[in-house]
Formats: sequence, C-alpha cells, structure tokens
Amino acid sequence: MGRQVAIASAGFSEHASKRSDVSMPELVSEAIEDCLKNAPSVELGDIDAFVNGNMPAFEGANIPELWMTDWMGARNKPLLRVTTGGTTGGSVAIAGYYNVTAGLPGVDTVLAVAFEQQSQGDTSVGLASVAYGEISILNTLGVSYDQLSRLLSAGAAIGVAAYQATTYMNKTKTHEEDLARVVVQNRRNAAKTWWAHLKMPNLTIEDVLDTPYVQYPLRYGMVCPASDGACAMLFTTEEKAKDMCDIPVYVNGVASVANETAVLGYDGSGSAQVDPSMQLGAIRSAELAYSQAGISFPRKEIDYAEVYAPFPNQELMWTEKLGLFEEATAPEMYKAGVTAVNGELPVNCSGGVNSTNAIGASAMERPAEAALQIMGKASNQVPKTVHTSIGSGWGGSLNLITLMAMSDQPQRKWR
Amino acid sequence: MHRFILIIILIIIKNEIKMSEEKVIVANKGLVRADFAFWVGQYLDKFYDGLENKKIMGNKCPKCGDVFVPPRKICGKCNIVIPLEENWVDLPETGTLMNFTTTAYRVNDRTSRKAKDWTIGMIQIDGSNTSIIYRLLKMELEDVKIGMKVQIEWSEKTKGDPSDIKGFIKV
Amino acid sequence: MQKVGIVGYYQVKLYSDANYGRYEMIFEASRGALDKAGLKKKDISTVISCTNDYYDGRTISNCFTVEVGGGYMADESKVEMDGAHAVLYGLMRVLSGNHNLAVVWGGSMASCYPYHAARLYETDPTWERPLAYVNDITSAGFQMRAYMEKYGVTAEEIAKVVVKNKKNAAKNPLALEEAQLANLSVKDVLNSGIYADPVTELMVAPPCDSVAALLLAPEKQALKITDKPVWIKGVGYNQDAYYLGDRDLSGCKSMNLAAKMAYSAAGIKDPSSEIDVAELFEAYAHEELIFAEELGFADKGKGAEINSAINGDLPINPSGGALGGNPPCGTGLIRVIEAVKQLTGEAGEYQVKGAKKAVASGQIGMCAQNNILYVLEGN
Repeated sequence: MGRQVAIASAGFSEHASKRSDVSMPELVSEAIEDCLKNAPSVELGDIDAFVNGNMPAFEGANIPELWMTDWMGARNKPLLRVTTGGTTGGSVAIAGYYNVTAGLPGVDTVLAVAFEQQSQGDTSVGLASVAYGEISILNTLGVSYDQLSRLLSAGAAIGVAAYQATTYMNKTKTHEEDLARVVVQNRRNAAKTWWAHLKMPNLTIEDVLDTPYVQYPLRYGMVCPASDGACAMLFTTEEKAKDMCDIPVYVNGVASVANETAVLGYDGSGSAQVDPSMQLGAIRSAELAYSQAGISFPRKEIDYAEVYAPFPNQELMWTEKLGLFEEATAPEMYKAGVTAVNGELPVNCSGGVNSTNAIGASAMERPAEAALQIMGKASNQVPKTVHTSIGSGWGGSLNLITLMAMSDQPQRKWR
Repeated sequence: MHRFILIIILIIIKNEIKMSEEKVIVANKGLVRADFAFWVGQYLDKFYDGLENKKIMGNKCPKCGDVFVPPRKICGKCNIVIPLEENWVDLPETGTLMNFTTTAYRVNDRTSRKAKDWTIGMIQIDGSNTSIIYRLLKMELEDVKIGMKVQIEWSEKTKGDPSDIKGFIKV
Repeated sequence: MQKVGIVGYYQVKLYSDANYGRYEMIFEASRGALDKAGLKKKDISTVISCTNDYYDGRTISNCFTVEVGGGYMADESKVEMDGAHAVLYGLMRVLSGNHNLAVVWGGSMASCYPYHAARLYETDPTWERPLAYVNDITSAGFQMRAYMEKYGVTAEEIAKVVVKNKKNAAKNPLALEEAQLANLSVKDVLNSGIYADPVTELMVAPPCDSVAALLLAPEKQALKITDKPVWIKGVGYNQDAYYLGDRDLSGCKSMNLAAKMAYSAAGIKDPSSEIDVAELFEAYAHEELIFAEELGFADKGKGAEINSAINGDLPINPSGGALGGNPPCGTGLIRVIEAVKQLTGEAGEYQVKGAKKAVASGQIGMCAQNNILYVLEGN
C-alpha cells in the first residue's frame, strides 16, 4: 500500500498574455519561488525529486526540463517529465502524488512544476498538428477545411468545444445567456485573484453577448485567453507536511482516464464516439478518484470545485459529469448562485481556465487552487470552511480527464 | 523593449486519405509558418546589449563566486538567485580552449546534411567558470590543442544575438 | 520498497524503415505483451506510454495512441523521456496500491522524422540553438574527447566496444539488421568515417523504428500471472546540469548518483561481483565505458579493461545494446526487457549463463544528462 500524500504548498507566477520580461526557465523559477514562499521552512535543498511538464510543441522546445534544470533547482536530483497535452498540469500533479506515495527510498518531498509561455511559441501551429490529425473527425462533425484557419487563430480546441456546446445545449435546453453567465462569474472572480489574466470586475451578461461569434454558439467574449504562466505544487508525506504548513491538504484520490476516439476508424482502431458531450472518461475518472477518496455523495461531500473549462459550456457539462450536479441542471445552479463565492458549492473562484489559460499549467492550477482553498490561503477565499475539494483537467483530442480529490483529513480515516 | 530570438519553422502539410490509387477522400495542402519568438529574459537582454557593443559580460554567484557566461538568474550549484542589478562582471575577449570536435554535419531545425569539415570548440572565457561553444576559425586542425589561448573574432556587424561572435581565433 | 514484478514483455523487431503504421506497431507491442502473459484488455488498470511530440511530429502525441496502447477507459498517462523512465512511473503507480497491472510501452519511428533536427530542439533556444554548434553530434565528440584526454583511453579501446556489441547484435534476432555485424574489426570501426571527431560513424547507436511494451504487477498478482517474474529491487534516477560547459564530460555524475540510489535500495555493496549482467543504453560506444565506471564495475578510466563479452566476467549489452539499434523513446525500455530475458533464461543465443542479478539503464539529453538505472533480480 502506498503512503498518504499531502500538499504542503502551491504557487503561481504572474500570468499575462506576454511575459516578455522573462525567459521560459525564469518564468518557471517565479512559480517555484512563490510556492516556497508559502512554505517558509522549506528550502530548495529539502526537495528530493522533481516532476515537470508543459506542451512542448507549443513553445518550440523539446524536453525543456533539461534546459531549465538549474532554474528549478533540479541539478543532481531525480526528475521525471510527464506531458499529456491539455491535461499536462493535472498529469504532472498526479505524477507528483505518485512520486511520494510510491515510497521510493529517499524520495519524500517532490516539487511538481507545469508551465506554458504561449507568447513565444506558436500555439496555433502546435494545435494544427492535432487538428490536422483530426481533420477527418472535424469534417465528420461539420467543420470544413476553409474554417480551419479561422479556428486555429482562436485555438483548434474550439472546433471540438463548439460541437460539445451545441450537443450539450440541445440536450439540456441551455441558452447562450446561460453560457454568458458562467463567463461573467469567472471573470469577476478572476479580478480578485492576484495571478489571473483576464480580470473584468464589471463584466455583464450583455457585454458578453455583444461580442461576435468565433464559432456558433461560442462568442469571442466567451473564449479563454492565451496566457504565459507557471504553477508549482509541493507534495510530501503526511509527517513532513505537518512541519511545513499549518493545514496540510491530503491527496486522497487521483485518476486520469481517456476515452479518446481514434479518428473514426482511421489508423486501425476506433471506438467511434458520436457525442462529444458524452464524456465517459470524465465519468470514469470521477468514479475512480471518489472511490479512492471515500466520497460517496459528491454533491454533499465536496465543498469546493475547480473545473477545467476553457469554454463556458464545458464548465456546465463537467460539473454534471463529475457528479456535482444532476444531469442538465448546472445552468439552473449557476443562475441560483449555488456556484458563487458565497454559494453552497463554489466553483472556479480563481476565475478558472476561462480567465487564465497557460495551457500546460492550467490543469495544475485547478488542484493547486482547490488545495489553497482548504488551506485558507487562496486569493479569492470562499467564506465557508472547505474540507473537501476537487480539481480537474481536460485534454487530449477530445477527452482525457484528470481529477484530484483533496481533503483536510487523511484518507485512512475513511477506510 | 525586451529582446527575443526568432526561429521560423515552415511546415508543409499534405494530408491525404487514399481509398485506392484513384480515390482520395480528403486532400489538404498548406504551408504553415510558425514564428517562435523566444523571450530571452532580462539577464540575457543585458548580455546581448553587451555583445552588440562587442563586450562580454558575465555575472557572479554571490555565494560560490562562479562567473557565468552568458549570465544566469540562478546558480545551479548553490540554488540561489543572483540579483539582476548586482554582481555583473566585465570579461575579456580571450579564453582557453577546453575541448573540441570536428564534424562535417550541419544541423538546423529542419534537417541535417554534410558539408565541409568544421571545428567546434568549448572555450572558457578568462575569468569565467563555464565554457561556451563556438567555431574555431583560421586554424589548421593540427594546430588545435586543448589548453591553447584563443580570442573572439567579432562579426563585422553586430546585432545583439549569438551570431555577434563569429568564432574564436588563435591569440 | 515493496516487491514489484515484471510479468510480461514484447518488443517489435527493430527496423531502419519499418513497413508499419505507427499505431500497428504500438498495438503489436502492447497486445503482444498481454497475450504473452495470458491477460486480457479488461485486466489493465493503468497504462503509461512514452513518446515525444517532436519525434512523432504531433502535438499531444499520446492523443491517438490511447486505444492501440490499451489505455481506453484505463487510468492513463505519458512520460516524455526514455522508455525506461516510463517503467519508473508504472512502478510508482503499482507501488501506490491503486493499480494491479500497469502496461508500459514506448518507442517511435525514427524513419519518419529528421532525428538530429528534432534533437536540436533540446538546446537552449535563447543562446545555443540559433547557431546550432551544440547538437547531439558535436556533443558526442566533446564527450568522447573529454574521456580520452582525461584517462588516456585510446580510440581502439572504444572501437572494441562497437565490435563486441555489433557481434552480440548478430545473435539477437530482434536487433537492427544493419547493425548485426558478426565480422566487424576494430579497423573497420575506426575507418567508418568521421561523425564528430573522434567519434566515427559506427560508434553511434543508429536511430531506428520500434515499440516495446512491459507489464508490471505487485508481488501477489505477479506470482499468479507467471512462474518467472523478475523483481525490481532498486531504481535510481538523476539529472545533471544542462550546459555542457558546466559538466565534467569525462564522467557522468547523473549515472553515478542514479547508481547510488538504486544500489542502496537493492542493498548492493560490491556491484562488480554482485551484478551478473548489465544492459546499458549507450548512445555512443564511449558511453558504455563511462557508465560501466560510474556503476562501479571498474575504476575511473579502466572501463575498457572489463571483460564484457557474453561469456566474460561481467557481460555488458549481450543483446547488442543501443548500438544494435536505438528507437528513440524505446531504447531504455528495451534494455530493461533484455535484462529481464537474461534473468528468465529467455535470451537464446546471447544468454548469459546463470544470471541472477542484472542492471538496466536508460538516458535522455545531450551527453546523457539524465540517467535512470534499475537493479533487477530473477525469481
């Protein structure tokens, strides 16, 4: 059996559309500095191993952790690199957890870092190689080749997201206004988060609905920005965490399940997936992580959620698929204020991916923020006490879902 | 104004799914140009400002005293931040050859090919504790010896990027 | 450390230009490993893949490999290093108690992309990359020269490593055909053309196409799955400084530290007498000697004096090693598999008699910046 794992700290770099004042390794070192600042008793020398990840093709640097060795403090230390596309941050955090729980001799405290400096790379070309691989699926779904260049300028992910949005909206009778409401909540929350990118304290639903369509039903004002940023998390054992911070956050369940579709039979395989809002991977991830964490009634037991959603329809969809809300009820919950900072189940009080998207880092920022809410150290701290929280990630071509369930109580008390 | 290094990549895309010799169901062609603009950061900003004026600048770790060319934010040995405003060191144009290799291969970010042999050396600039890697110019291979003194040959026109140093020649 | 067993493996033969689709190859490897162990898709609880976006020419290269690698609806992740590092993540997942069967696969098709150009992307884009003086070719030259200069090792001694490994590869049916050279001489190696002086063309592990897969299970399940599990007794991994100018290239500090970590976990005090066989990922011939020294098989500079033939005192790379074919992202994993074959007595013509304990290594980076080492033991 593995060891109990705790998060002792989490940190961020400042996020912006262009962090031209720093090189990629310097950006990473900023997040590490912030992470260690939150755990003053820990020095870089106390860290036994490192996990690192980003989306390498977006930045034109292959295996960049080799280059940033010194900037991370990883010289002559064990290091593992994990990348899984959009979920990279989540996968890196999960790898951080496994590094500690495995109990390899001499590996107790692990620093996990995820980052993306999109301003220097060419994300559209990076995504093009995903999109071109997927061109037949996009064609099948109705995106013509002519539209691709336009999609790429906003990120190819939107092509898939738009179809998720229409299928979801059709099934749940959701309106554009519901999507805009999610955006308003996120961007207003972002205004209270120090590291967030798109801060809009006075945004209204009308403002969002006034912007033009990028692809129906997603409007320009609903789409996530492209950010430069990094995130770091400190994982350690239960015993050591107690010395490093006041409220250790115990990692009680992790999962990363994919139900990718391999381009409808092309390349020799295919579990042709027709409905991109079906999300079997997310449902399975939730099952796995909740059962490890002993969560039987997610809606009652989870106090706070950070859900990875670059587009507002996805936030609605995943809060349902991850078991927080009944199918097709998420829009009502947002309308009723359940998910607001002072609500019953606050969601994405950091502003979420919708307000800040440094792709490689985004999926780590979710569990990092969810952990800080338990510690009581988040920028936009919720008024109620958070005992149990989750942080999710989305990536792959359609759906690889990472999920981390955290609590202020260690897992074994439930067993 | 922050400096960046521009690397351009051209990708030719040809995407076909062939049912048979005659029947092609999807055929896409396109040329994608990717501009990778790598922000160099404020430490290298200052270093490249120096190179533009044909000056070599390093920075010194306040703890171990190692001098780095090019300058760095973090000393990997000591794990500490070297402050941006402090510990700058002006260095000479001369150095010592620490290692070298000869190859006919030219590698760029699209391909590798063979051309005339050239010699690449690792040179430790005098007063620094690390080596930089550049071409050795105007030397016969028989003359190249580890430990020999070399000095910078500057490009005629400096631009504030790594190509300002054309290579190293014998003192 | 709890006992984790290697319960199955499969390696696709190495080809310089395989007549395979990428996904066929992945399927053959992962399915082959399952079949060999008599397991089903349903039994897989986690899959760790190892590919590289630059080698595959595709962002999020694991995107399209989920199903063929057995990862559909299983807990899945990707390590973007060497295949041997993917084994480490699979090991951690099994040790956590969350998973009872991990499939680890890795590999790529070097015939599909310009290998040296892709490696160039590893260099610092703000300083070294624009001029490309630092690349995998020149760094090999620097490393070999540093090693020769410091210890007075001759090029002939390093060429002998090539002769031995290519001869071993000739006995390994899965090795690269072009590398199966039973009658190679030292002179042939030295005259094979300059790669990066003093490295010659034949001293370089030839990039090629292949995928390999490995199955890991906890002790209890491992004993049910097979009679001949191989136990992972220790693992060590480490990363050195990045810039070549910061490192002593005549040795390999990251391998030294990785070995310390692995040996202490496995309780190995005198490696040269306790280890029966070594499978090392030598990207260039001289690295085999440098690694052997860092692993404590010989004193510094004396690596060439080890009798490392198949029937020698300490056989190194009886399978032919990476000089017998180097599929990026797969080579380290294949080293682990070859070590497993030695311990289960399945190595055929290149079997080392009575092998009980083995080490296997993997690496990434210029001049082997990051190394990983396993200590394995037969049942």
